[in-house]
Amino acid sequence: MEYVKVLFPTDRLVYIDGEENGNTNEVLRVEAGTHLFELGSLANYRPASRKVTVEDTTALEPLEITFFRKED
Amino acid sequence: MLRAAAVLACALLTACASFSPANPPLAKYAPDAGYRFERLEHGDNTDELFVIVTFSGGGTRAAALAYGVLEALRDTRIQWQGRTLALLDEVDVISSISGGSFPAAYYALRGRQIFDEFPERFLYRPVESDLIKLALSPASWLKLAAPAYGRSDLAAELYHREVFGGATYADLIARNRRPFVILNATDMTTGTQFPFIQDQFDLMCSDLAGVPLARAAAASSAFPGGLTALTFQNYAGRCGYRQPAWVQLAAEDHASRVNPRRTARADNRLSLAEVVQGQGQVQGQGQGAGGPARPYIHLTDGGVADNIGLRGPLDAIASTNHPWSVLQLMNRKLVGKLVVIVVNAATDPATGRDRSAAVPGLIDTLTTAATVPLDNYTFDTVELLRKTVDEFDTDARLVEDCNRLSARRGAQCALQLPAPHKVDLYPIQVAFDYIASAEERAWFKNLPTNFELPRETVDRLRAVGRRLLSEDPQFLNLLKALNGSPPPVAPR
Repeated sequence: MEYVKVLFPTDRLVYIDGEENGNTNEVLRVEAGTHLFELGSLANYRPASRKVTVEDTTALEPLEITFFRKED
Repeated sequence: MLRAAAVLACALLTACASFSPANPPLAKYAPDAGYRFERLEHGDNTDELFVIVTFSGGGTRAAALAYGVLEALRDTRIQWQGRTLALLDEVDVISSISGGSFPAAYYALRGRQIFDEFPERFLYRPVESDLIKLALSPASWLKLAAPAYGRSDLAAELYHREVFGGATYADLIARNRRPFVILNATDMTTGTQFPFIQDQFDLMCSDLAGVPLARAAAASSAFPGGLTALTFQNYAGRCGYRQPAWVQLAAEDHASRVNPRRTARADNRLSLAEVVQGQGQVQGQGQGAGGPARPYIHLTDGGVADNIGLRGPLDAIASTNHPWSVLQLMNRKLVGKLVVIVVNAATDPATGRDRSAAVPGLIDTLTTAATVPLDNYTFDTVELLRKTVDEFDTDARLVEDCNRLSARRGAQCALQLPAPHKVDLYPIQVAFDYIASAEERAWFKNLPTNFELPRETVDRLRAVGRRLLSEDPQFLNLLKALNGSPPPVAPR
């Protein structure tokens, strides 16, 4: 089991490989491997998606994947 | 005489030349239709208490044990979200193999009417004798002469008529209720599990709605040797199917070796859906047109890939890339308690082999070679469940412990590390291994694997299934957490 935390200034739905999987700024569980991360609702964030290989994480040290507001 | 011979020869030629697929093509890929977990109505069944049940293979022995557990779940009362209800009504998914697929499919089709109908329709029925009689009848010889028709096709016809009353997956879709029931067979070529769900049939551009339940049960229980594999038509490339996003991503992980199991799952999907140019073997397609790389899929007993039906549920628990991912539901904080009930009818028949110096015979050796790896794999699968549960528990405890330890050093040192959503797991096992009395345990572990057992044996299996469930330590923990009461158990 691997752990990720998708960072964004506000609460947004997190999509992993196109499927809804919880919310931003929370620790989420995911299987090891390469995944595609996106946010839900408004598309006012960048980058549009992030392709990340997740491995060697722990619940204490989840992999942080950051998205930014487009105007930032 | 000559005319009769000519008619027979013509009939044989006709039979030999044709293959009538029992799985229709899918006109257009429709992810919002068909037999899928997310399409089934919840009703009063909550995700917060998520219950998965698996039924193993083992012929009528497995069917009776599984049926006894269903009866026990019906009679187990729990307090849940302000209501008193049967634990059976909270079952979300049933995954089954071989003999266990008969009660699973019947429950999916008829719900609680299974308790009035199934014993006479299947458990007490001399299915094996019926199958032999059918195979020996001259009417069957002509059918069996066709290379694309085997003994399992005959069995499927018998089950269709006598057990499932002509039902197809369209009936399960119309019923539209949980549990989501997954009958599992084995793809002979890849050696992987083949679940009878629309997500799997999408890969072949085939409509599961048109497949008889009996054919799924027959494929799931096509015990190698005694029964033949069942053939399904692959129409891949004809319905506009698109693989989910994770498949390409996982397929790209070959070189990095980051998760070979996930990559293998992706490869398996790609193999079934692969289209090659110049393949014109598929009926209805002209020579030279693009067609599936594997136009025909041969399915054998589900027990060859996984005899307890637990591998699929384990993937659903540990992966977000699964057609009914429980991990997705956990990430969305929809699941609070996860219950996995493994009903395993595995036996360990006594043998006199070691009382003699004689070299074991060919049949003995081949049987050992065929069954021992499966038993070892089953053992590993159950261990994997235990490991998965431990991993969830350990990770949750680790974060809690860190927060607690840091808080002890004073408010200024207190860490507030975010933890993943907490889920209480209850791995429950019903297996003859857990019978306390050595004599009774040996009796159950020496029962044969066939489709015909004496009525008293079936009744003993039903009773022991109920008893083993009610004695399982994790089941008792669950009942404590749910303020429940176990099923009544008759005195031994």
